[in-house]
Amino acid sequence: MEANPITGTPLNRIDGLLKVTGKAAYATDYPVKNLAYGYLFKSTVASGTITQIDDAAAKKAPGVITIITHLNAPKLNVKGGLRGGALLQGPEIKFNGQHIGIVVAETFEQARYAARLIKVQYSNDAQAKTDFEKLAPQAVPAKEPEVRRGDVDSAMAGAAVTVDQVYETPIEHHHPMEPHATIALWEGDKLTLYNSSQIVNGAQTAAAKTLNIAPENVRIISPYIGGGFGSKGGQWANLALAAVAAKMANRPVHLALSRQQMFNSVGLRQHNIQHLKLAATKEGKLLALGHQTTTHTAIDDEYTEPCGDCSKVLYAVPNALINYKVVPMNVIMPTYTRGPGKSTGSFALESAMDELAFKLQMDPIALRLNNEPAQDPTTGKPWSSRKLVECLKEGAKAFGWDKRNPQPGKNIQGDYLVGHGVACGSYPARQRDSSAVIKLTNDNGKVQAVVELAAADLGTGTYTILAQTAADGLGLPVAQVRIKIGDSDLPPAAGSVGSVGATSYANSVNDACSKITTELMMKSGKQFFVRPTAAQLMTSERLNTFETRMDTKPLADADNYSAHSFNANFAEVWVNRFTGMVKVKRFLAVTAAGKIINPKTARSQIIGGNVWGIGMAITEESVIDPRWGNFITRSFADYHVPVNLDVGNLDAIFINEDDKHANKLGVKGIGEVGIVGVAGAIANAIFNATGKRVRELPITPDKLI
Amino acid sequence: MRPFKYTRATSLSSAVKELSGNAQSRILAGGTNLLDLMKEDVERPEELIDITHLPYSSVKSSSQGAAKPGVLLDALGKNAETANHPLIRSQYPMLSQAILAGASAQIRNMATNGGNLLQRTRCPYFYDVAMPCNKRTPGSGCGAMEGFNRMHAVFGWSDKCIAVHPSDMAVALAALDAKVLVQNPSGQQKRLTFDEFFRLPGDAPEKDNNLQHGDLITGIELPASNFADHSYYAKVRDRSSYAFALVSVAAGLQLNGKEIIDVRIAMGGVAHKPWRALTAEKMLKGKEATEANFKAAAKAEMAAAKPHEYNKFKIELGERAIALALTKALNYGS
Repeated sequence: MEANPITGTPLNRIDGLLKVTGKAAYATDYPVKNLAYGYLFKSTVASGTITQIDDAAAKKAPGVITIITHLNAPKLNVKGGLRGGALLQGPEIKFNGQHIGIVVAETFEQARYAARLIKVQYSNDAQAKTDFEKLAPQAVPAKEPEVRRGDVDSAMAGAAVTVDQVYETPIEHHHPMEPHATIALWEGDKLTLYNSSQIVNGAQTAAAKTLNIAPENVRIISPYIGGGFGSKGGQWANLALAAVAAKMANRPVHLALSRQQMFNSVGLRQHNIQHLKLAATKEGKLLALGHQTTTHTAIDDEYTEPCGDCSKVLYAVPNALINYKVVPMNVIMPTYTRGPGKSTGSFALESAMDELAFKLQMDPIALRLNNEPAQDPTTGKPWSSRKLVECLKEGAKAFGWDKRNPQPGKNIQGDYLVGHGVACGSYPARQRDSSAVIKLTNDNGKVQAVVELAAADLGTGTYTILAQTAADGLGLPVAQVRIKIGDSDLPPAAGSVGSVGATSYANSVNDACSKITTELMMKSGKQFFVRPTAAQLMTSERLNTFETRMDTKPLADADNYSAHSFNANFAEVWVNRFTGMVKVKRFLAVTAAGKIINPKTARSQIIGGNVWGIGMAITEESVIDPRWGNFITRSFADYHVPVNLDVGNLDAIFINEDDKHANKLGVKGIGEVGIVGVAGAIANAIFNATGKRVRELPITPDKLI
Repeated sequence: MRPFKYTRATSLSSAVKELSGNAQSRILAGGTNLLDLMKEDVERPEELIDITHLPYSSVKSSSQGAAKPGVLLDALGKNAETANHPLIRSQYPMLSQAILAGASAQIRNMATNGGNLLQRTRCPYFYDVAMPCNKRTPGSGCGAMEGFNRMHAVFGWSDKCIAVHPSDMAVALAALDAKVLVQNPSGQQKRLTFDEFFRLPGDAPEKDNNLQHGDLITGIELPASNFADHSYYAKVRDRSSYAFALVSVAAGLQLNGKEIIDVRIAMGGVAHKPWRALTAEKMLKGKEATEANFKAAAKAEMAAAKPHEYNKFKIELGERAIALALTKALNYGS
């Protein structure tokens, strides 16, 4: 390691210039010759059976090459690992917006036009399950494991102070700026898929299995990703259907989803009803925590957002019951959505904690400090590291918490009611198997490195942190390190999902650097008093090229510890007392997430998560019309992501944390935790501002007048 | 997008002639709504007649030399330029505010003043061709009536349609008693009041307004304003920008001391057209400009509202927005 390491310093993105000059090629930017364009058409009913497809007019439309439906699609493996079904394998309709066919034409506009000429008849099915509010009472226990210790209800019955409330969060959609889009190109048996993928190797295996071909015949190319937020982790039907279309058209095919199609093609964050119970002594010691989540899943597959995860780790509490109920619905399969379970679950838990603090007439920070657990309250394992207390204390100081008026509705500034709120969050820190190859060259004394692994950069800085890691590991300036990622031909790597990316990739690159240095030392046959760098060895040994591969696994004893990133979030809201409109004037996220490789990209990632959290708190909601099971909010005019005016000053602070147990580098990951706790802090600030406790997100003006 | 013919008009009269010669033609001005609707397959014109390049984009005094001139907005003037024009900012501040409360900076740079009046509703059932909508497909039913109608009308709706007009600009124009200048195929100029121009859905919600095919909006005439000193546009929406109004209110007061000589109140987000709050206006004329009187008038206006399942909140929000806009108008500039 260098004396002045580049890791830990705020470096600009090394791919920044490519991005802002338009030179970074995204999935459909590749200049593939003879490209044809696909357009998906979708069911307009939520359940039933296709009885007739009239495509006579579409076939005759200008530019049409082929039309693919379940009647002529090849047999695919529906259990190949693509999420959400909709692979054109039969006439059954399972949700409104299910893909039912593809038109391939010379241009995108021709394909879309022809698709609109197709008339589809369905047999009616009055039994479509589309109304969550009505179906929720029929929910049954989910597969997501229950946590039970002690007896919550007895503790509630005997406690001095209790909170027993229901919190509700709506369906949300990921909506990365780059919609899901693929170019599929067959060369003989070999298939190339230009497709933005959070898990490059996962996309490769799922595509291959679904198409019933060997994984080595599928290559995923995904060097840049225009956001994903979980929707490009597990891949969806459109990936395989692009390949099917290319095969049947005998042409490379470009298949992109429209923004409207994104609502029912690539998953969603489900509608959750969370029942929270808290019991405490009058001194504010927690006695019981009940957290039951009722939610929905696909009609034929189960995914449950783990809303109780933060409740498992945040506070010391002797009696706990954390469980899940789920009801299948004729709605597209839900999936991992940024901070899955933790963002929505922490809204419920941290709102309830705020309600408890108010009942106790106790400062909400003091209540949390009062219930700090010495070890993981659910598993009993020691923490790999935990600095939530420092997050709360440092944050309170930086935010000016002491100036908050604890009495709600008292801080009036002109047209506005001003309020301050706090909420905590956590996200598991995990490492996954990941490999890396390092190739060193020496050109007349100028040593350069190429680092290769099938990693994914969502746009958050993976290229940059890996260049920093390799630069330190090899003794080279960052400018002499080239990172090659986003290609399944490269050594297999973990995915950029669940906050495992930075941890898994950086540890493998760091290990590969150590390995290549050791190999170079052995090759030299010399003894060294001070360990030289790989760069020095390449020069001293006059080597032109040298390479090695490292396959890194998590630490053998990592499972003996409970490893999480933690944060404390502070919000200042201004609520217009006439209109109920909310502005988040200030937001501060204080995060303890182990070693921060690049404080600049890390800060961007945290405040990006904060912005989505603001959306979750005050603007975002997808609405289904239960009569048809379709999304009524189906564009950015109706699905409101926050705009600049909704978002005030954002600030992010990292607490230094030297974690020796989570993984070798002590990196915990920050991708998910930035959105966790945000909605809770804002909802609590709105209560402090107005005295109104809104338990149903988003907190739109109609809920505050 | 369906294939269509593109015609570049050489003059206003050639545009009108081409327009009247094809019942399935549409005028292309800013295109910010029409092109979106074509991509969604809602609008299916056979022909687009492009007038964007024609020289009708000025904002000027309508009667030079008169003691109190009004202002003429040419139809092709851009929303952004109009909002920021010194005449509009000084004489019609509520119009400037209303335009700037609408859409996004990018859209306002493209959208024209004539086109703004012709925006189609943002009802999601209108936009989704798989849904019933009497406005899009007469006779297919109204999806919103028993559906997700949070954004919908509380005044003047019919059993065929509960859509609202989406414009902010038109709300201020309604309050200002603007007139719409229209050229018809036989070359005649019409001058329509907002009441004559806009319509309620009734039995024919497919008609947003009373223009005949072949009519072309050439301009908007603003009468001399007595409200420059006391006017305000209040817009309540789900986010701070780039969202349609839950409720909006354009309010103008003409005062003699504390007495209200004249008052104008128009509402957006509540009806198929910009809704003049005539009940409230009538109550306030001759009264003192006080918050209590504003609130009473607002309450009286909203008493006639007939909400649906998801937009009941618009009654209280409407009351609040009227009172807020009037109070802000009263204190405007102070």
